[in-house]
This record gives sequence, C-alpha cells and structure tokens, in this order.
Amino acid sequence: MKYDSQKIALNYFIVAALLFGLQIVFGLILGAKYVWDFDPLLNILPFNTARAIHVNLLIVWLLFGFMGGTYYIVPEEAQTEIYSRKLANLQLLLFAVIGVTAIAGYIFGWSWGMPFLEQPTVLKFGIVIVALIFLYNIFMTMMKTKKWTVIQGVLLGGLVMLAGMFLFGVFFMKNLATQYFWWWWVIHLWVEGAWELITGAIMAFILMKLTGVEREVVEKWLYVEIGLVLFTGIVGTGHHYYWIGTPNYWLWWGGIFSAFEPLPILFMVIDTLRSVGERKTEIVNRVALYWAVGCAVMHFFGAGVWGFAHTLPQINQWTHGTQITASHGHFAFFGAYVMLNITLIYFAMPQIKGLVTFKQSLGIKAFWFMCSFMALMALSLAIAGIVQTYFQRVMGMDYLTTQDYMRLWYEVFWVSAWGFAVGVAIFLIDFYRLAKTRA
Amino acid sequence: MTLSQGKAIFIWGTVISAVIFVVLTYDSLVQMPKRTQETKLDAHVAAGKWVWQKYNCNDCHTILGIGGYYAPDVTKVMSDRDKEWLKSFLKDPERVWPNPRKMPNLHLKDQEIADLVAFLDWVNGIDTNNWPPKPMVATAVTSISTGEAVYKAQGCSACHTIAGVGGKVGPDLSKIGKVRDKEWIEVQLKNPKAHNPNSIMPSFSKVSYKDLDDLAHYLAGLR
Repeated sequence: MKYDSQKIALNYFIVAALLFGLQIVFGLILGAKYVWDFDPLLNILPFNTARAIHVNLLIVWLLFGFMGGTYYIVPEEAQTEIYSRKLANLQLLLFAVIGVTAIAGYIFGWSWGMPFLEQPTVLKFGIVIVALIFLYNIFMTMMKTKKWTVIQGVLLGGLVMLAGMFLFGVFFMKNLATQYFWWWWVIHLWVEGAWELITGAIMAFILMKLTGVEREVVEKWLYVEIGLVLFTGIVGTGHHYYWIGTPNYWLWWGGIFSAFEPLPILFMVIDTLRSVGERKTEIVNRVALYWAVGCAVMHFFGAGVWGFAHTLPQINQWTHGTQITASHGHFAFFGAYVMLNITLIYFAMPQIKGLVTFKQSLGIKAFWFMCSFMALMALSLAIAGIVQTYFQRVMGMDYLTTQDYMRLWYEVFWVSAWGFAVGVAIFLIDFYRLAKTRA
Repeated sequence: MTLSQGKAIFIWGTVISAVIFVVLTYDSLVQMPKRTQETKLDAHVAAGKWVWQKYNCNDCHTILGIGGYYAPDVTKVMSDRDKEWLKSFLKDPERVWPNPRKMPNLHLKDQEIADLVAFLDWVNGIDTNNWPPKPMVATAVTSISTGEAVYKAQGCSACHTIAGVGGKVGPDLSKIGKVRDKEWIEVQLKNPKAHNPNSIMPSFSKVSYKDLDDLAHYLAGLR
C-alpha cells in the first residue's frame, strides 16, 4: 500500500463481510422451506420476503466490495490520494443506512416487487445519490493526475455503466412485458456487462501486482477480454427475450450471441494461468493466489458452462423458469463475483495492515470448503431442475406434484449449503483476525 | 497482438454489438404493444400489476418464467383457472387448497383481488412465442392423467373427502357413483350452479375436456 487513503477500503470490506454472513443465514432459511413443507415462519418471514433479503444482501455486499476495491486500486493507479475521504465515508454511511432500511422494510412488507429491484422508489433515488457521490469522488481523484491507465479507465467505465443501467429499473410501467424488457437492461447488463468490466479491471490489477507481469501485457488482454464480453454480452441480453412478449427474432440473436459468452471467460482463465506461469516475482500471498485462480476457474464453470447449458432457445424453452436457473445463479454469482471480492479482500487486507506475511491456513481452508460445497449445491439444484424440467415440462405433470419428486435434491442442496456456510464462517473468522490486526 | 490491436477489438466489439442491440430494441418496442395486447391494458390491469408488485408475489411465483421458483408460474394461469376459483383462492388460499407447501393469506381487499385477476387475465394474452411449451411426451401424460390424478392435481380434496381423506366443506364423494352418473358429474364440474344456484363450489370449466372426462369417469366409478 502506497497511499494512506487506500485504507478507506477497510470499512467497506467490513460491511461487505458482515452482510455476506447475513446473506448465508437467509439462504439457509430459504433452503429449509424447500426441504420441509411445514413452515413456522409462514406469516413472519414468508419465502418471498426471505428471498428478497437473501438476494438484496448479495447485491449490496458485492457492491460494497467493488466500492472498497475501487478506493483501494484507484490511488495506486492514479498515483495520488483519494479526492475526498469525507465523501467516501459519507457514501459508506448513506449506503449502509439505505441497505438496512430496505431490508427491514421487506420484513414489514414495504416492497416495490420486481425481483432483485424490490427497493421502494424513494430508496432507489437514495442509491442513485450514493452512486453519484462515489463516481464524483473517483472521477475527481483520477482527474488530479490524469494518468489514464487502461485498468482505471475500464474500472471507471464499468462503474459508470453500472450506475447508468440502474436507471432503467427505477420506473413503474403498466405493461409487464415492457417492464421486464428494461429490467433486463439492469440485471443482464450488470452481471454480463458492467460487473464483468469491474471484475476484469480488479483482476488485472491484482494479477499484475501479485505476479509482477508487465502492465502492457495485462492491459492488452484486459482490452480483448472486455471487448469480447461486451460484444457477446450486449446482444446476448436477447437470451432473456425469448418468452416475455418480445419478437421471435431474439431467439436467433440472443441464442447465437450468448452462445459465445463463455469465450471471454475462457480467455480470463488462460490469461490468469499464463500470468501466474510467467510470474516475475515470488508469490508470497498464497491465499490471494488460490482465490484468484479459483475465481477464474469457477467463473468459467458457473457463468460460462452452466450458462451455456441452457442458453440456446431449443433447450431454454423447456428449462426456463425452473431450478436450472437457480443452480446457474448460485454457481455464477459465487464463481464470478463472490470469489472476486474475496480475492480482493485477501489481496488488499494484508497490505492495508502492513503485513508482509500472515497465517494463511484459514483462508485456504475457507477456499476449499466454499468451492467444493458450492459445486455440490450447484449440482444438486441442477439435478432438481432436470427432474423438474422432465416431469413438469416434458411430461406435463403439475407443478406441486413435481416438487415432491425433487425433494431429495433439495435435501442434498441444503446439507451442502451448511458445508458452504462452514466455509463462510471460517472466512469471517479469518477476516476478523486480519481486520483487528493493528497496522 | 499489440495493445492498440486489443483496444480496437474492445472498441469495435462494443460498438457493433451496441448498435445491433439498440436497433433491435427499437423494433421490439414498436412490436410489443401488439404482441402484448396493449389495447386491453386498462386501469384495472395496471392497478393489478401494482398489487402483484406491492405484495412481492414475484419472489415466490415466476411470471413469464422470471422470479422465485417456490410456487407455480402464473403466466398462463387464466387458461387453467376460472376467475371465481382464483378469486376465492386469493381470498383464503388455505381454505381453497390446503397444500402442504403453503401460500400465506395476504388479506387482500376485494378490489385488489379483482384488479390482480384482471392483470393475470391480461398477462394470459401476451404472445410468449408459445412458452411454456406443450408437454412433449403425450403418452406419458395420458398414463398419469387418470381421473384420480386430475382429482389430486385440481385440489378437489381440499373440500371433498374420499375414503376418509380430504376436506369437509363439500360432500363426501367416497360412494358418489351410487347416486350420480357421469353426465351429472360433468355438468356439476363445469357449472355447479346448474344443480344448486347457491352452490359455493367454483367452476372447473377451464380444465381440458379430456381431464374433465377422466375425472367424471373416475368419480362415477366410486361405489
């Protein structure tokens, strides 16, 4: 760490870690509702409320991680202190208050009711203000030195795109199909657009620092990767426009473009492995290395392979709206964005705390626990989804009868989720240990 | 490859894809009012959409295949259910269909229920490129669509009892074949008020002809 203001990241990581833990608690509650029909929380915390909280916590903690990461990376890239620490702290506070209000609100039935974007409109405007403060602070920092490295350019581009796309999910529309058309501009163009840019930039930075590979090489591949991400991903939005009242040419456009979406992710895997292979320095921080390489691999399987499996319309017409999507959702978010944030935390925390070496065994244990149990979770939900697709869609059995045939796989999923939760607990213990170390 | 070649891939990849996407978006927005029957989208439907959102229905149910996977997809629900059935279900889900996996009673007002049903009726008319698809294995469907399966799938046991299993709202059907023939049962299923104007039983006229036939055949055989 070269600049004192990089420490801003620490508080963002702390909030992110807390919310991550909370997200898992709600996940376990949701899983139990699938395993047992009797639901003692039916009128206190019904499935829809718990799901809104589970998913919102995920999105919010990942955003806290991205923001912390940006505050960590930009000073080093721009070679100057952050423009305003006060604004950074104000932004943290405001975002945390909005996040807590939204989640408490869901419990009392205050919801806007579009999945993932359940935040009531007034809170959405608050989120826009948070984003504006953040972008202003980051932009002004970059303007201090105007060193437009590719890494910070892509990072800024991703953040602007992230904020801009959110606006398409703010307004109520009478037509459900039109509402969902724009809703995907937020959801898809976030996770298969803006977030990939941010991920690409953060990963390029970490790999460069970790392996000592030249900037020019890292940045060249960053351009290629995000170029392919956007080329396949923008028109690839069409794989969500097959069955929602949109014209049928999307079956072609969405199918063909999204079929190529795994390609840039494969590039990222090759790029990561090459950087590690051609490392110019000894990699001391083994934990960060584990998570970085693991992230590339799990990103490829979770987002790339699992996504490709049901993206073609010939398959998607049978699997759409089944647990196949839930399997893909869990696997992809974990592989791509959860692992990126943990990589980032393990890379930045020792630096912020001025540690040259640190006890690495817990971080590696957490890695194996989370990765292997997430793989089991994704597999069991995928099998549940295949059972569902076959009985409900192919054979025409009704929804609830089919659910009974899926119960075994819900049970495997839920038990695996407890294994995953153990991994998260190990990570949180390790995080606490690092965070309380005096710098 | 050089850095500037990489940059060219990035710029051209993004621009080409964005231009295609914007053009297709424009065309979609032109076509969608017709594909979604926007002329039928009145104030009731819009109010119903807000009811759907306000009660966060979409985090349990999918609609257009999007949302929570905990409860059935409702895109084409109005092809399978009568309005009156759905209204009484929404009023008190547990009474109409005491399934082990439960929907909470949301204590909806009558106006909210009417709006929500209008909304779902409109959604039913959206051209979804034939999604969800018709089941592929026709023979398998026949083999499980015996009258007994229909009885179970339609939730008849919520109100009626057969051999000691089921609800008490409606009459015991264990030996119904002794007193009613198949034709009488079919009429009762399609229009309960035909036999008794005060009947509280909802109509099952939206159930397919074959399923109704199977169900009536099954019930008439209970002696």
